[in-house]
Amino acid sequence: MSLDEIYAGLDQLANCGDDTFANAAKYVKETSIAAQAGQMTASELTETMQDIQKQMMIIEDINQLQYKEHLNTLINGIITVASFAL
Amino acid sequence: MAKLVRHTKENMERNKMKKLIVLLAMLITGCSTIKDSYLMTKFDANEYQLITQIRIDSRYSINDCDNFFAAKNDAAVVAKETELFALYSEHLPHNGDSYKAAQALNEIAQGLVKRYTAGEKVSTQFCKLKFEGIEHSADLIQTVLGGRPR
Repeated sequence: MSLDEIYAGLDQLANCGDDTFANAAKYVKETSIAAQAGQMTASELTETMQDIQKQMMIIEDINQLQYKEHLNTLINGIITVASFAL
Repeated sequence: MAKLVRHTKENMERNKMKKLIVLLAMLITGCSTIKDSYLMTKFDANEYQLITQIRIDSRYSINDCDNFFAAKNDAAVVAKETELFALYSEHLPHNGDSYKAAQALNEIAQGLVKRYTAGEKVSTQFCKLKFEGIEHSADLIQTVLGGRPR
């Protein structure tokens, strides 16, 4: 895959409508361009990309937690209702 | 007669609620997602304080990225805090997702301090991106920790 193809893919993702992925795609492209311009070494660019993957993992874990929190609230709601009814 | 009808209705309602509670108990013990949600870690003020500290320290550290020694010191401070946060989260019961996020955050922070410790030249841009990434992730984690049930 050439760099042009990668940039085209990132542009496509930047317009996907999902803010999280659109921002990540823009960020990846800007970082890569900055590295090409000599603002970062290749090793630093690699680590930055790996960090973005880790941040995506964090978002995934956070989403799981948010669903669990929501479900927890609902379960407690049912328990409260049940305790009043009995 | 009216009293008997009311009594019967009340009994039926009670039976319905009992069935609901039994069903819930079955779900809680049988379905891991529901069980995890029900038993999830409650709001922990220490955990919340640790992530807030990481967030604010990484935010202000961005300003030192032009200064090698100040940035090196900042990176060490933030890395120690992320390690503390991960270790603190590790053994809290039913805290798996939070611990995974804490580990990922710690890995990001350790990467920067390793470069400074090895005496590598660290570019200003890389330093800023690191601290920005840590602050952004800490912000996300803090949002979820703050929303935990009390």
